[in-house]
Amino acid sequence: MNKLSSLHDAVASIPPGSHVALPGFAIARCAMAFAHEVIRQGINHLTLSQCVGAMDADILVGAGMADRLIYGGGSLDRFGRLSGVNRGIETGTLAAEEYSSLSVTFRYLAGSLGLPFIPIRSLQGSDLLVNLQEKHPEDVATVTDPFTGEEWLALKPLLPDVAVAIVSAADSEGNAQINGPRWDNLEQARASKRTIVLAHEIISTEEIRKHPERNVIPGFLVSHVVHVPYAAHPCSLYQAYDYDADHIRLYAEAAQSPETMQTYLDAYVYGVPDHESYLAKLGGDELLKKIAADPLRGY
Amino acid sequence: MTSEYSPSELMAVAGSRELKDGQIVAVGLGLPVVASFLAKQTHAPNMTILFELGVVDPEPIDSGVGLADPRVWYRAKVLSSFVDILGTVLHKGRVDVGFLGGLEVDQFGNLNTTLVGDPRGKFKHMVGSGGANDIASCANKTVIIIRHEARKLKEAISFVTSPGYISGGSARADLNMRGGPERVITDKAIFGFHPETKRMQLLSIHPGNALEDVLNTMGFVPEMSGTIPFTEPPTQEQLRLIREQIDPTRMYMG
Repeated sequence: MNKLSSLHDAVASIPPGSHVALPGFAIARCAMAFAHEVIRQGINHLTLSQCVGAMDADILVGAGMADRLIYGGGSLDRFGRLSGVNRGIETGTLAAEEYSSLSVTFRYLAGSLGLPFIPIRSLQGSDLLVNLQEKHPEDVATVTDPFTGEEWLALKPLLPDVAVAIVSAADSEGNAQINGPRWDNLEQARASKRTIVLAHEIISTEEIRKHPERNVIPGFLVSHVVHVPYAAHPCSLYQAYDYDADHIRLYAEAAQSPETMQTYLDAYVYGVPDHESYLAKLGGDELLKKIAADPLRGY
Repeated sequence: MTSEYSPSELMAVAGSRELKDGQIVAVGLGLPVVASFLAKQTHAPNMTILFELGVVDPEPIDSGVGLADPRVWYRAKVLSSFVDILGTVLHKGRVDVGFLGGLEVDQFGNLNTTLVGDPRGKFKHMVGSGGANDIASCANKTVIIIRHEARKLKEAISFVTSPGYISGGSARADLNMRGGPERVITDKAIFGFHPETKRMQLLSIHPGNALEDVLNTMGFVPEMSGTIPFTEPPTQEQLRLIREQIDPTRMYMG
């Protein structure tokens, strides 16, 4: 089945209030083109989740699209804090359910396996757990190991409405290849009701069949396939393009106050109709030359 | 080459001494990267280095801005996932040593990377856990690397992101948790943990510091017994490797 779609239509398929699992890790493989389109269409009251908070969650929270974030902490690496997310937590406008990276991943894993709960060694003895027990008792509990009688902390599965994946290549059915590390993305896709794939490159199903071992997301999980080159900009896509340090610095600076964040959004999100125009505004071919990765080094 | 060295260089060398050949080590960016690569290039060539997001045994030739930078994944033996690294290796119990850092640490080795201020009042939210809580909970031992300042070494901290010995004594063992912090390495001293109380215990003082320098710049009095020796300084070869090969641009050493 051909699931090729425009980014506009793929994003428009998400109702306000949905739970969206985001693919970014700090400044790597973030769903920036997706986030920009969500903001342009004003799809709000979202619940977002990811095992390490990243730039895609930060801009969505900063633009007022998300009410809730389930995550394992995060940053923009050396470029700074997640100012949009942190401001939401500090002022109380964002309900953040804060875990560790593995505990969020385990919640996706339980969801992907259809398990009712998953026991975990993490979180015990921490204030992360104290906060979760106090504010979200529906998501954490203790269970007794039926074989040893030992007490374990158990987490509830995460079942997002939609996962978003930024992939190196996909065919029109959504069979997708991700080069490089995949952090929590494969469990996200399998735990979610459906996945939207943003592919740097569209390849034929014949090409997928030639290297089936590279296909990490099977097409039957996917509802929309969108061809969006440089969809992670200013973040990186391994072996395709490097992160754009200048633009991440510009964003990190802007995200520090609601006013400068609005100026950023006006210029780079609301001020352009689509991702192609965004790339053109930032220099077009010159930009793409600057961030081009050496496929052997990966960056 | 001068035989003088910076406190950061001594911290990295002290960190590398905690690692043994053949071990599996979970590493975050910064000084632990230097400590681990130094160990691998000297006494522990068969050690395996892990980054939480799914990176096994990389050999970077360029410094990175964080774990999300493909520069630090270069020449890895495996590029996989959180379930693979933090799940089937760390959670399973195969990680021998995990490195941790933080905004503040208390006398029982509990770490805060979440917030500064009053969690019930006005606070500034920082990074949070990432894989740190998982490493603190699941590694067979951890080594904490932190600056020696009274605002960082405190009797009590404002938020426990990653547990050490919790309230001390048997508190950690009572929760059926394995491991726990083995060392705290600062720019003035090295601490272990008292076998009974599980409070930080002063083991050695870095050359050039007096006992008062160490005690006056921390928020509690650590356990001490007998004469406290000086920390062994770095060797010429260790300094050469750090400066010429591991961190020539001083990205990690600051």
